[in-house]
Amino acid sequence: MKAMNRRKLITASAVLAIVGLAATAIPAQAAEVGVSSTQIKLGMTLPMTGTASLGYNKIPGAAKAYFDYLNANGGIYGRKITLVVKDDRYVPTEAVSKTNELILKDKVMALMAPLGTANVKAVASSVNPARRGVPVLFVNTGFSGFADAKKYPTTYAVLPSYVMEAKIMGQYINENFAGKKIGLLYQDDDFGSDALAGFKTAGTKFAVTVPYASGSQAAATAAGWITKFKAAEADVVILFGVTSASLYMLATAAQLKYAPQWMIGSVGGDATTLKLAGVPAGVLYNAIGFSPVPATTDMKDEYVKFFSDIYAKAVPGSAFDLNVLLGMNSAFMTAQALKAAGQNPTRKSLMAAIDSKGATFANSALVPLGYSATSHVGLTGYWVGKFSPTGDLAPIGGTYVAYTTDSGSGAVVKSTYKRPAMPAKGLPN
Amino acid sequence: MHKRHNSSHIIPFILGGVVLYFISGMVDELRVYQGASIAVYVVAISSIILLTGYSGQVSLGNGALMAVGAYAAAVSHISWHIPIILSFFVAVLVAALAGALLGAAAARLSGPYLAGTTLALAIGLPSLANQFSILGGEQGLLFDVGFPPLSLGENFTQYKWFFWIAALAALIMMWLLQNILQSRYGRTWRAGRGNEVAAQLAGINTGRSKILAFTLSAGLAGLAGAMLSMTIGTVSPSAFPLALSFSLMTGAVLSGITTLGGVIIGAVVLVAIPEIADVVAHRLGSSESVTTNLPGLIVSGLLILTVLFVPNGPVEQHRARKARHEAEHNSSKK
Amino acid sequence: MIQLLNTILIGVTAGGIYSLMAISIVLVWRSTRVINFAQAGMALLSTYFGYEAMVQLNSFWIALPVAMIGGAIFAALVEIILMRLLVKHSSTGPIASVAPIIATLGLLGVIRAVVSMIWGGQDVRITGPLSNDGFSVGGETLVFSPLKLLILVSVVVLMLLLSILFQKTNIGLALRASAYAPEIARLSGVKVDLVRTLGWALAGAAGAVAGMLQTVNGNGNLSPDSIEFSLLLVSGFIAAVIGGLESLVGAVIGGLLLGILISFVLMYVSSALFFIAPFVILLAVLFIRPQGIIGAKAGRRA
Repeated sequence: MKAMNRRKLITASAVLAIVGLAATAIPAQAAEVGVSSTQIKLGMTLPMTGTASLGYNKIPGAAKAYFDYLNANGGIYGRKITLVVKDDRYVPTEAVSKTNELILKDKVMALMAPLGTANVKAVASSVNPARRGVPVLFVNTGFSGFADAKKYPTTYAVLPSYVMEAKIMGQYINENFAGKKIGLLYQDDDFGSDALAGFKTAGTKFAVTVPYASGSQAAATAAGWITKFKAAEADVVILFGVTSASLYMLATAAQLKYAPQWMIGSVGGDATTLKLAGVPAGVLYNAIGFSPVPATTDMKDEYVKFFSDIYAKAVPGSAFDLNVLLGMNSAFMTAQALKAAGQNPTRKSLMAAIDSKGATFANSALVPLGYSATSHVGLTGYWVGKFSPTGDLAPIGGTYVAYTTDSGSGAVVKSTYKRPAMPAKGLPN
Repeated sequence: MHKRHNSSHIIPFILGGVVLYFISGMVDELRVYQGASIAVYVVAISSIILLTGYSGQVSLGNGALMAVGAYAAAVSHISWHIPIILSFFVAVLVAALAGALLGAAAARLSGPYLAGTTLALAIGLPSLANQFSILGGEQGLLFDVGFPPLSLGENFTQYKWFFWIAALAALIMMWLLQNILQSRYGRTWRAGRGNEVAAQLAGINTGRSKILAFTLSAGLAGLAGAMLSMTIGTVSPSAFPLALSFSLMTGAVLSGITTLGGVIIGAVVLVAIPEIADVVAHRLGSSESVTTNLPGLIVSGLLILTVLFVPNGPVEQHRARKARHEAEHNSSKK
Repeated sequence: MIQLLNTILIGVTAGGIYSLMAISIVLVWRSTRVINFAQAGMALLSTYFGYEAMVQLNSFWIALPVAMIGGAIFAALVEIILMRLLVKHSSTGPIASVAPIIATLGLLGVIRAVVSMIWGGQDVRITGPLSNDGFSVGGETLVFSPLKLLILVSVVVLMLLLSILFQKTNIGLALRASAYAPEIARLSGVKVDLVRTLGWALAGAAGAVAGMLQTVNGNGNLSPDSIEFSLLLVSGFIAAVIGGLESLVGAVIGGLLLGILISFVLMYVSSALFFIAPFVILLAVLFIRPQGIIGAKAGRRA
């Protein structure tokens, strides 16, 4: 018994020694950080707890759901994607230290989908992924600055910018509500000032604008906003704020029987979240809404059907909403970028792949992507819809009408973009 | 009681600096970054210890005063093009000025009133940044101390540079503070903390001495704020949440709120807690909602446990036990 | 005109809830000379007790007493376990005056973390017992509804109940005696420990009502991080200070005043002052009338 154990030990050592020798004999492949023969490691920081986490804390689960599906279907050239998620509580200090851990300790290949303008900015300045050559894929903010490839050479935007959205809203108003009194609720910071800039370009004139301070959204404040819109007799009221602002506004409006023509921006306009939080469907009915991706209830859409099936299996009991759809869409695009980066992907080849092929990546959006060698602009527009009697955003008259524009002074044009068919089985080809 | 020296020797601090210099060359970049965070906390916690431990005033507003310092540094650097080194001094001065104003109000308030007032300040002040465009709103301002000088070599990382600046600032501050606390002012504060009426009878102007403590504490907080902004590269309102003020209080209590000596303990614990929590959560295989809330639970739990069982902090506790032991030893000899 | 009326109505409703919070802070202060910074956390926990009752029994009218009893028991336990230990270990020494503040802050953090661990996965909802649709007057809809009326009625009822309790029994006196001169109180036959625990329990129940009403008034969503509860934390304290910390009537007046003042600032000045306005109001009160509206002269510096 003892002798056998010793023999086993000797054999094992010999094998190990040979393997070890062989390993040193084979020239080491130029492996990239976070890429091994079996896996590719990606990292994500976003608020999972705290006031700002509402809705967004579903994004990691959504992305993981897609990656798990991908891994079960062969991964990327046989490598499985692992996503490391850290909670930054929407505090820049935490975002920086968690991103440091991701890059220096967990040694991820790339960061994906970080959330919040202040956080992404702090990370860009302190961690400096650009200098480290770490790609930051598909940031979850509509701040147009991150699309600046000179300033943030490794960062890629994906959401259309706030400026684009305001310009498209302005265009819609010019075409459909000329002569009406327009009211605007906006967040009193850079999010809002981007919106104001967009409306200015579109030439929108407001009868009343109501700024609110970030964090001041509450039932009591919302009653105040409504009082101001009422006093100005606004016919159309635009909600250009975060989800909780739309939420308090619409729920309080229902109580006060205040019903102007609502126009709800995409940031705070996810019907599923709003209804779950207590906004009656009847209040949303006929409101005008904007989104770059198809309606989340549109099961005729092949992407929505595909993503919602995967998500229902991966995270049972969780509603399929806009955050989930966008999270899975970003994961799908990330998978294509990794595939396009070649058999042995590196950080450089990953970014080169987005620069050269990114604009043609298959994804659910109904507007084109703007990636090129000189541009890191993501989606470039929105389709305009109306909320149905059940309170879901749907295309007007059943067909999606999308508009595209830029974050500068470019015109708003009706999109002629034809979305390519989804690759077979929703896997990158 | 042995007689205290009139001034603290600078040599231990220089030695400390030399040790840190060598350590920073040996550990990996993540540890260097954490080292810089520890230095930030050392300064921030000592501002609390000075105020609460020495002068007996509880402020939950030091997070807000850090924000004042951070914004002062960033605005002076960006808008008025003041050299980065000087902007740290601006941070100290502006925060100290704010502290003097607050201290004048605070001198009229006792414990719970002051705590509640500064709590309201900590919640309210950072949001003011949205009110003035020069402060950059929610997305904040960049605060970039620049790259390390080329003479330090190619492989000298940005974080090592942050660490050097932060550690140097912390060492200088600790040395200055040590000297102040051993001066006449330090004794005045301790007298007022023990018994305000007795101190007044002894001819001490307790009001003025409280304001002075508040001013100095605010200056330290301002410096800590500027150092924090340096390590995260930006200044924004969300970097100074109420939770920051709470963490600092925990750090101070853990350090032993009445002794400056333990400050490094509190700072290290604050930086280590998220990592410890991570390890514990993974070991236990806990669910996501437990994992994400564990650091918060540990910070608050430690706060309660320390106040209950080690109210004067581990350093003081150890000292007291040693003194008791010696006393027993002496009496048994007799 | 309607704007002015609505501003007042918004303020009165919000202020009514602040009053309840202030009442619970005053009760704790009167019984143990401690400002309980964990009061809003305890209200949050009690509201989750109420939510669990709603899930089981689907009735607000059962959930409310469940929350109150749960809140009272929890508060009593905090007093018996935490506060007595605190008195035992940290009532002397340099940290004595600040120990209760630090301990209640720690408790606030612990409650928040534990509540998030148990219920934090996603927001839950509590449906109000009455409609929150505004009353109509001459074709205009007011920011005042049956639900908001209920909030004000609750404040009045709770204050009346407490006043009767204090007047018909000696509890009010015993509370004061136990806090100011525990030794003398003990000698005169007052069960000091019991009285203190009672003070905390009453406060816990009042806080629970505040939490439940704040939740249904704010669209019914309940989450450990909700702004509604951060508001309670600060506003309850400020309202209590405005009222002079000693008097229940003062707490109610303080709460209503604070609610109306904030409402006016938000409506007529700027919503950016949402968080800083309470601080400014507090400072103003402390400087102009440091003893509060109904307060003893020497309160502030004790």
